[in-house]
Amino acid sequence: MTAWLMRSFLLCLLNAALALVLSPLCEGIMRKLRAAIHSRIGPPITQPYWDLFKLLGKEDLRSAGGVVYASLPAFTLGSVLLLAALIPMGTAAPLAFAGDMIVVLYVAAMSGILVMLVGFASASPYASIGSSREMMMLLSVEPILAIALVVGAFKARTLALGGIVNWQVQNGPSISMAIGGVAFFLALQALAGKLPFDIAEADQEIMGGPLVEQSGPRLALFRWAMWTKQLVLAFLLVEVFFPWPRLGIHQLDLLMTSVKVLVVLVLVAVIDVVNPRLRIDQAMGYFLRVAFSSLAALAFAVIGK
Amino acid sequence: MSTIDQATVTRVKQVVAARSDGALLSATEPHADTLQFAIEKAALRAVVEGLVNELQARFMISVGTDRRPVTGDFAILHLFSLDHEHLYVLLESPVPEKDLRIESITEIIPGANWAEREFRDAIGIHPEGHPDPRRLLLADDWPEGTYPLRRDFPYNFQPPSVENVRPQLREPPAGASVVPMGPFFPVLEEPAYWRLFVEGETIVGCDTRIFYNHRGIEKLGDSVLTYNEIPYLAERICGICGFIHSTCYCQAVEKAAGIEAPRRARYIRTIMLELERIHSHLLWLGIAGHIIGFETVLMQTWRIREPVMWLCEEISGNRKTYGMNTVGGLRRDLPNQTKPKLLETLAEVEKETIAVRNAIVGDTTLHARTKGVGALTNEWAKKICAVGPPARASGVAIDARIDHPYAAYDEVPPQIATQEAGDTWARVLVRVGELLESIRLVREALSSVPDGPICAEIKEEIPPGRVGVSVVEAPRGEAVHYVLTGGDNRPYRWRVRAPTYPNLQALPAMVSNGTIADVPITLGSLDPCFSCTERLETVDRRTNEVRVYSHAELLEISRRKARGGGTR
Repeated sequence: MTAWLMRSFLLCLLNAALALVLSPLCEGIMRKLRAAIHSRIGPPITQPYWDLFKLLGKEDLRSAGGVVYASLPAFTLGSVLLLAALIPMGTAAPLAFAGDMIVVLYVAAMSGILVMLVGFASASPYASIGSSREMMMLLSVEPILAIALVVGAFKARTLALGGIVNWQVQNGPSISMAIGGVAFFLALQALAGKLPFDIAEADQEIMGGPLVEQSGPRLALFRWAMWTKQLVLAFLLVEVFFPWPRLGIHQLDLLMTSVKVLVVLVLVAVIDVVNPRLRIDQAMGYFLRVAFSSLAALAFAVIGK
Repeated sequence: MSTIDQATVTRVKQVVAARSDGALLSATEPHADTLQFAIEKAALRAVVEGLVNELQARFMISVGTDRRPVTGDFAILHLFSLDHEHLYVLLESPVPEKDLRIESITEIIPGANWAEREFRDAIGIHPEGHPDPRRLLLADDWPEGTYPLRRDFPYNFQPPSVENVRPQLREPPAGASVVPMGPFFPVLEEPAYWRLFVEGETIVGCDTRIFYNHRGIEKLGDSVLTYNEIPYLAERICGICGFIHSTCYCQAVEKAAGIEAPRRARYIRTIMLELERIHSHLLWLGIAGHIIGFETVLMQTWRIREPVMWLCEEISGNRKTYGMNTVGGLRRDLPNQTKPKLLETLAEVEKETIAVRNAIVGDTTLHARTKGVGALTNEWAKKICAVGPPARASGVAIDARIDHPYAAYDEVPPQIATQEAGDTWARVLVRVGELLESIRLVREALSSVPDGPICAEIKEEIPPGRVGVSVVEAPRGEAVHYVLTGGDNRPYRWRVRAPTYPNLQALPAMVSNGTIADVPITLGSLDPCFSCTERLETVDRRTNEVRVYSHAELLEISRRKARGGGTR
């Protein structure tokens, strides 16, 4: 029993550590791509590491007091790491025994809610506007995540993510899961805070929104959390909706998954770079339409497609 | 020169005579296109009403002049343009020192709001019945009762600094909260303070405090500098349309003094003005993209723009602030060997601009952010006296190049395009259209630049007491310079009105009932000014050795830095 616990614990740590270490690299690649489309040379792909390094070494300034406010950045990053342990990233999720799809949905929403809270607590009008935008985005995007995952759960007749992945591997592509995957991808664009949905941050309008008052190590943790979140969610997308081909050779599968994740992130970056920012009402209207379309996936699942 | 219809001149005279009801002091025609009337101040408002209602005159600016050393009184001059009739109408009223009041015309012309507050602040003539008599021009800690543009006020006066002063700002309506934009804000390149009153994300009103950057340029012009020094100061009014201001000033003095710039100079001015429009519109397109988060547009348009800056540098020695203009013509000729390169660059810029235009015209997200956003109605555009692309995008077909031709525009006339929608998208379309039209204009002007001198010889001193009004269509709209000549080799009064001045006054109406997200792009779509410097000179403090880095070196250094290796 203890050995099993130890093993799970170590695997959790490994998942979290890998996500932490690799996410700035992914961000760096995305930035480089962005620069290429801009006709710029761009920063080296290791730049996000240096950004974090620099921010972490700065003075810790807070615009509000209290233990809760002080600990919000750590909790935000923590929630993302918890998510990393809950989802399969190339292998079975180390914490899969602790919760199913429902828990994943809750944990995935947590970081957004914590960012929203820090905004409301910052005592800045820009942060408040940003937080209310964040809230509206969460309310528009979360149902899409839920519908997409429910399609999988319905098909595989299980709420466990691992079960859905196994079912997918065994049964091959289906229309319903493809639609669900596309809907999930669109939601990912918003959850990663990328254009045209970076409405909550909107530098040019509200100067970074919820994070306007964050600086130094606090900002570093929030940034790191955002980068990790986009990586982890990309893994979730690839594993649940596009797990094929599974060759059975562990290292090779892991490599394939990583390549697919990178492709997803490149797509996210390209969409980011060729779009202007939508207004919050336009984005909500857009996601409402996406949510209704993703219901089609559920319908297909019901008729077995 | 465009012909002036004598019937219109007679009609203007009739209207002024009828409305002034015997209070007309004098009627003169300083120039073929300028009518000047002196009217007793009691009748000024009635005459203004007549001009606006009966002749659809467009208010340009007010000029307050301290004439005490000459005539013993002050004067307020309202400047109007009859655009389609190619006429300027100047209404002047003497204001005696013992009764420094004049009737406000802001109720008739909402666009006169700032102009009247400005002469109140600058020379102390109070516009009676002004709806919003708060301070505009002067800093909030400037002492009361001190008027900087009076003749007895020294240009280098430094008022004592005062603690704890605040701008007089309006409170939000009940139930609304305040979102401040400024005085420093990411998308505002210059300090300006917009106080947005919002309910949720919806704007229910706004208040402004600007003039943080007031530099006392007009004061320097009529107290320290001479006629031929002012073009360099005028060029520094704006970091982007510098050549426009120096041309406009020179033309005003030339007109007042009866000097005619040689044709070659007028052609080269046209070419430089249009090059300035090309690089300014490309810059604007990039900034507009940046404001709505479309960085790719910013990066690409600025890349397209850069060769135009290099061309300007090749012609004048500077990317910006060319220092080419002087009263009577130019100091620097357009070298003939730049012509092929100019044409080559223009072809490249044209090709890439069309590519950008095609890319943005079909972008649905861009439409979502700009169509119906920040609409300026045709009616309000006229009332607030908007100029340039914002006016043309709202269906007001005015363009100084056609209405009051200057430089070589009488021989190389532009085709102007108007849009009816008045929204941000319409302003984008108008500017992109103008950009391509400017490329055509430069080509046409280049093909017909005549040979000859570039500067008129000025043999006599410029006589005092002459008036000259000049307009130039800047990328942002019409710039106006008014010069009243003085006796000591400098203007007695020099008045500058930049195009952003009337256009910014239109903003509150444009953002009202919109959302916070729309404010930056609406403001940006008016194209308020900004400047940039990209050259570097270093001085070694130990040896005092000056080293100038070339463009290529700077680029290399910054790239090396960015890659994380090496030092300077």
